[in-house]
Amino acid sequence: MSDNKYDLHKLLKELTEKGGASGYEESIAKIIADAFAPYIDEQRTDNLGNLIFLKKGNGTGGPKVLLCAHMDEIGLMITKIEENGFLRFTSLGGFDPRTLPGQEVVIRGREPLEGIIGIKPPHLFENDEKGKGAEMEDLFIDTGLPETTVRREIKVGTVAIIKRTLLTLLNDCITGKALDDRAGVAVLWFCARELANLKHQADIYLVATIQEEVGTRGALVSAFGVSPDIGIAVDVCHGDFPGAQEYEVSPLGKGPVITWGPNIHPQLAERLTETAKENHLPHQKDVSPGPTGTDARAIQVSLGGIPTGLLSIPLRYMHTSVELVNLEDIKVAGKLLAFFLTGLRGDFVEGLSCI
Amino acid sequence: MIDLIERLTGTFGPAGSEGKIRALLCEEVGKLNHNYFVDTLGNLVVTVGGRSGKKILTAAHMDEIGLMVTFIDENGFLRFTNIGGVLKETLLGTRVVFENGIVGIIGREKIKEAKNFDLNKLYIDIGAKDRNEAQKMVRIGSPAVFYTPFNRLGDRIVAKTLDNRIGCAVLLEVLKRLPSSLPNEVYFVFTVQEEVGLRGARTVSYRLEPDYGLAVDVTRVGDTPEPDYKMEVSLGKGPAVKIKDSSVICHPQVIQLMIETAETNNIPYQLEVLEKGGTDAGAIHLSKEGIRSGALSIPCRYVHSPGEMVDLNDVENGVSLLLELLKKNW
Repeated sequence: MSDNKYDLHKLLKELTEKGGASGYEESIAKIIADAFAPYIDEQRTDNLGNLIFLKKGNGTGGPKVLLCAHMDEIGLMITKIEENGFLRFTSLGGFDPRTLPGQEVVIRGREPLEGIIGIKPPHLFENDEKGKGAEMEDLFIDTGLPETTVRREIKVGTVAIIKRTLLTLLNDCITGKALDDRAGVAVLWFCARELANLKHQADIYLVATIQEEVGTRGALVSAFGVSPDIGIAVDVCHGDFPGAQEYEVSPLGKGPVITWGPNIHPQLAERLTETAKENHLPHQKDVSPGPTGTDARAIQVSLGGIPTGLLSIPLRYMHTSVELVNLEDIKVAGKLLAFFLTGLRGDFVEGLSCI
Repeated sequence: MIDLIERLTGTFGPAGSEGKIRALLCEEVGKLNHNYFVDTLGNLVVTVGGRSGKKILTAAHMDEIGLMVTFIDENGFLRFTNIGGVLKETLLGTRVVFENGIVGIIGREKIKEAKNFDLNKLYIDIGAKDRNEAQKMVRIGSPAVFYTPFNRLGDRIVAKTLDNRIGCAVLLEVLKRLPSSLPNEVYFVFTVQEEVGLRGARTVSYRLEPDYGLAVDVTRVGDTPEPDYKMEVSLGKGPAVKIKDSSVICHPQVIQLMIETAETNNIPYQLEVLEKGGTDAGAIHLSKEGIRSGALSIPCRYVHSPGEMVDLNDVENGVSLLLELLKKNW
């Protein structure tokens, strides 16, 4: 079993620099399939594009576990081609328009095309425009191409993504776009790699889900398709930064975050916490008072109800092109999941359905 | 077909109270030689074609937006809430009609700032002298819909509820023109409660388990002065192939098939990215383990107002496109 093709950094570099906006995840799915191949027994793609891996348990009768991390990223979609070739767009998922002017983009036309997002210069502001943030409808993509070429290459509905190279900073920090939630996909990959050397009773379904950013759609249908005994979503949560309240962020480098709240089965959160303690893995705690903004919200209410957990990687500047995470947090999360899975027996899972 | 559209738009059927429109649809479907049934929530399902090919669900919602009485005051004025996405600015001075034919006019209280008025400042006046008289005609929970005439304006028509009786008309017209055999098993479904959250489509796709889903509905346009959203769809330039709206990112395979079919048959079409709004495909594609879905849209101005407008050429081309699509192997 050779795994020298990828290491964590290399995998994340490829995963974040390529584009895979919600609904258009195929090229990312290819990289993920390639990276997971050495560690899994079966692979399939469902009707909507969820990439589903199975790592079989040792022996029979083990529980069925679903691990989800979404592979889509927020992106842009062309809504209108203006007379002079400028492109109007909407967002796939939640972009903050203030972060868009000045970005470079790659447009997935007939051939990939580069462009930039332009905005009116400050010199030309009317008085009432000063100090105001940009609105999506005032922005446009400029390819520099004449209208006739633009119309030949790009149609309404063509997707564009932000162009951004992954940058490695000090102290195991990396920054780039789409770490939400390619960091989660990397956790699943690291977990699968760890499991190669461990025994586990559970049949483990690792799913790179689609369309999380437009409403946890991939998780909804893949939970139905896999119909697991338990589900765990791996996503990102807000990291610390100046000006943030301590209670709304989790510091980077202090381990993955275990979420508690109505979306989460308390015994799963408890078990994850205990596993982290037993293995001396740093971890943090967060609470969410309602359905979380992650795949966990869809998994929990699928079928007859699925006990669900959520493990998150602290990430700064969410939904910008300079999202920042600590690689060590990803490794710890992968190990924590692997240890959790090796300790998982059928009787624990049965116990979850009767509190 | 014009006559059919006029009857469809003139028939009462807000979400949850689709009895009359469903009766009309059943009558129309009954004239054709196809099997049909009505399911638990009231969806009308017409089954066509062989059992060998793929199963395709094509859906047009039969319900419409409306109002519902919440309170009758002692002077006989009716307070109301909305059924689906009613735009409050379209209500002032508008006439509405209840299922029993009672007509009312919407009035408003004194409003200091016109931009800040809310639905609770409005009421329906049915001419009743007091609560007692009003209660003989309507009750709390009675739904009402817009009461506006059907007009033909050249190639275009304006009427209430073209969203989505025009989709129903397209499905009925395709049913009439179907060849004697089809490569696929096709479910033509007239769904309920789309306007309040794609509810009929959700349960009917769970039950039918199709391989593919295709909604037929209206879409907004960007060809009017200062439209709400910058979009390229215009009236009269052909039916739209939906790429995305708030409820669904259409499956590339379905989009591709629609575009190829339009191009090989020289049917004009447009590409649609709708920033706000959803359709039955949103519920269908998330059914069970996921269903590859798309949507064919008829461009429509003034959606959800008392006077919606479509171009008959788009409707006719929409019929042709759906018909050709259903003849293909999916």
